[in-house]
Amino acid sequence: MNVIFTAVFISSMVALAICAPQDFLPALMQGGESAVKTALTLFTIYAVWMGLSKLCERSGISRGAARALRPAAKKIFRTDSEAATESLAMNISCNLLGLGGAATPYAVKAIGELEKESNSYAQKLLFVINATSVQILPTTVIAMRAGAGSVSAADIFLPSLICTAVSTLLAAGLFIAGNKLWR
Amino acid sequence: MALIVPVIFIAVFTFSAIKKVNIYESFTDGITEAFKFTVSLLPCLAAVFMMCELFERSGLSDLLTRWLSPVFGFLGIPEELTKLVLIKPFSGSGSLAYLSRIIEAYGADSYVARCACVCFGSSETVFYISAVYFAGLKVKKLALPIVCVLAATLVSTILACLICKIM
Repeated sequence: MNVIFTAVFISSMVALAICAPQDFLPALMQGGESAVKTALTLFTIYAVWMGLSKLCERSGISRGAARALRPAAKKIFRTDSEAATESLAMNISCNLLGLGGAATPYAVKAIGELEKESNSYAQKLLFVINATSVQILPTTVIAMRAGAGSVSAADIFLPSLICTAVSTLLAAGLFIAGNKLWR
Repeated sequence: MALIVPVIFIAVFTFSAIKKVNIYESFTDGITEAFKFTVSLLPCLAAVFMMCELFERSGLSDLLTRWLSPVFGFLGIPEELTKLVLIKPFSGSGSLAYLSRIIEAYGADSYVARCACVCFGSSETVFYISAVYFAGLKVKKLALPIVCVLAATLVSTILACLICKIM
């Protein structure tokens, strides 16, 4: 991240300084402003879902889900931690339901738990799965097409499903293979 | 489809009530966590958004789009999608804005718009996610997972453009 950030930042700064130096500070401020706006939107999403997840936690729902998924988690993520498995289970179910915003806090929680057993393999694998978008229902896109007057807004459902499945499997496969080669 | 979320909520609330969980307190506790989480995220967000804004305004993103269009065309990705494919790994809201522009310009049922929708729906904001997930942790060697994800995303984009031609 640091390398990319530095490279993009410096090259953009130089280009902007040459083309339009008066735009320089406004661009940075604008970035900060949209960060705050995004954070506000994210907070509302997280508030709803983390409120719900606290309920799942206290009523024992997520513990039940974690227990059911324990063997699978052990095999795929090589983790023994119950708390991590709990968050992993919630993250993946949110993803499958197309609730991308709700999935993020669980992922971060799971990564925090995995950090305790310094399981960086599972952390990276979880990132790979999330970053290739495991999604069954592309809700946002279907809503947008319907809004734009599409005749059959949901007809991208199958192509999306195929593509997202291929990308997730391929990325996970590449990562697992690469991980073995580099060791 | 619209029923999924309400059903989940009703089920969890009812189940918690049966289990005699203090629902109000638990819900508020969850929101407290959400608040702390958002605040811890803000520095990363600010830095990444500043980078995106600079990149966009400096004209470098347009330059990159112009360079890469022929390459993408060779791979079977329509030229109109170049910018969307390039922005998506960095910014969700930016690429969403661009997607709505494509739908408006070409019509929701056109080949380009359907391609754009599938590409958008089957990829994620890779750099943003990596910033959020690994904020404050000391995980090293993130290059391998990021490269895997980007490669898979490119393959699925090419596949999306192929499938949309058939289906």
